[in-house]
Amino acid sequence: MGLLILLGCFGLLLIIGMPVAYALGIAALSSFIYEGIPLLIGFQRIVSGVSVFSLLAIPFFIFAGELMLHGGIAARLVSLASSAVGWAKGGLGQVNVFSSMLFGGISGSAVADVSALGSLLIPVMKEKGYSADYAVNVTVTSSVAGIMIPPSHNMILFVVAAGGGISVSSLFMAGLIPGIIMCLCLGFVARWVAIRNSYPTEKFPGWSVVLYAAITAFPGLFTAVIIVGGALSGVFTVTESGAIGCLYAIVVCLLVYRSLSWQGFITAVKNAVRTTGMVMILVACASAFGYMLVLYDVPTELTKFLYAISDNPIIILLMMNLMLLLLGMIMDMSALILICTPIFLPVAVGLGMDPIQFGVMLMMNLGLGLCTPPVGSCLFVGCAIGGVPIQNAVRTIWPFYLAILLALMLITFVPWVSMFLPNLING
Amino acid sequence: MEKQKILHPSVERCLDTLASIGTVVSALSLIVLVSTFGWLVYGRYILNDSPTWVEQLALLMMITITFMSSATGIHERTHLAVDIVPMLCGPRVKIVFKLICDLILCGFGVLMALKATELLKFTWSREISLLSIPEGVRYIPVIISGVLVALFSAANILSGAITLFTYPDSVLHKDSSEPKNKAEE
Repeated sequence: MGLLILLGCFGLLLIIGMPVAYALGIAALSSFIYEGIPLLIGFQRIVSGVSVFSLLAIPFFIFAGELMLHGGIAARLVSLASSAVGWAKGGLGQVNVFSSMLFGGISGSAVADVSALGSLLIPVMKEKGYSADYAVNVTVTSSVAGIMIPPSHNMILFVVAAGGGISVSSLFMAGLIPGIIMCLCLGFVARWVAIRNSYPTEKFPGWSVVLYAAITAFPGLFTAVIIVGGALSGVFTVTESGAIGCLYAIVVCLLVYRSLSWQGFITAVKNAVRTTGMVMILVACASAFGYMLVLYDVPTELTKFLYAISDNPIIILLMMNLMLLLLGMIMDMSALILICTPIFLPVAVGLGMDPIQFGVMLMMNLGLGLCTPPVGSCLFVGCAIGGVPIQNAVRTIWPFYLAILLALMLITFVPWVSMFLPNLING
Repeated sequence: MEKQKILHPSVERCLDTLASIGTVVSALSLIVLVSTFGWLVYGRYILNDSPTWVEQLALLMMITITFMSSATGIHERTHLAVDIVPMLCGPRVKIVFKLICDLILCGFGVLMALKATELLKFTWSREISLLSIPEGVRYIPVIISGVLVALFSAANILSGAITLFTYPDSVLHKDSSEPKNKAEE
């Protein structure tokens, strides 16, 4: 009955449009009342949910992404991608995917990726004769790279939701190869669709232009080296490397690029605290919700349920992927990481899957959810920038979904893809 | 999308000011957070003397950013929500759903303020290690956030009720179709 109150209350509040964070908190408190646990403990759990040192990296990564967006780093990365791959078949489609790999690798956020690269590339693609749907589809789906390629604040959420014990650096490394594979699949699809529709190809600008673009983009790209390299080498902790990344981005945008205005800085700070508030209140309330899920032994019950359907690990993994994809279609990523990790992780570990591999699989599943209707923040932002009705974009997006699904299947069934780099680093 | 201003201009101005104060406090906390971590690394590698107070101060800043920004999000309606069912319903049902949400949120805000006050009293005599300030300080942003959530939700309830009972159907239908037209443009 208690579980029914918890899930029923949560579902009902979601249906009527309650913000997800507060729906989690209120549902958890209802269960606290039903079980006779003092509400004081409930609120203490909510506050202690954000008093976790490793979570401090999240505002830093979000802030770094915002600084890059408003400080001119994104524009230079697009120039680099344009000169390096713009001449290939599929031209600007390839540029879009490559830019996402570069920018997503620094900002760590899919939505930041869509808004930064979308506003730069979608108008140019439309102007050069690409259809608006194609421009939006490539931008939206390639933004998943922001979640996969380190650093990624969603990965930190996963580590916290998994209850610690997983190294953030290992998870960062685990996302790199899957992220690149996904971008290669998307690049291939972008090329295929572009050839089918006879989209134009850019002229090769010459190696001097490529070299100039690379030199100009290097100070911005170095932010990722500081964040990931600093954490991996042990010079900084992940949190410290996030803060140093922010300070470095401010210095580069102010002194090197000279493109960060005071107004741009204010906007970056405001957007960063707004996003941080949204994500962290989710973490806070999900902490109380997760406490009740564990109290009701939901992970064990789900394991029993899945084994009752089939004891074949392949079927169970496919069912888990399907569930995550369906959930990703209706709910936002951060909330789902916090809700699904404690439920699905024990099942995956029971099947012999490494928690790190599961983390990468979860990221890609939920990342795809950001690009699907009815609730897909990347799709919404991309469509708004491209001026394309959502239904039009969705009609032609399926080859790109298939590319991500292919990468997802590789991650799920070939552990090497995600575990090679962490194993290499950890010996 | 710009939030519609329905209440008296002075009330709206007052609410906007409160939300702006919340954002400014959060923004300053973020800047302090980044600066202290810069100082931590500088202290460790240049001064050879790591400041030990940074971690506790950072957690305090994190609580401030989280609770102040999330309260502001109620006023600006920036929180993530699943709007599928309300979008499928008519404009009046949509407003009723919003009213119910705001009513529950208002109650949640009041409860949060009250319980956080109890937690503040309960922990005031203990000290946060290395900062030498009362442990209860952690709950001050939570209390303020609770009050703001209740206040902003109450204002949203008032706006919703005014819209529901005074606006004719034609205006409501026109309002609900506006974003769609903009997207199509």
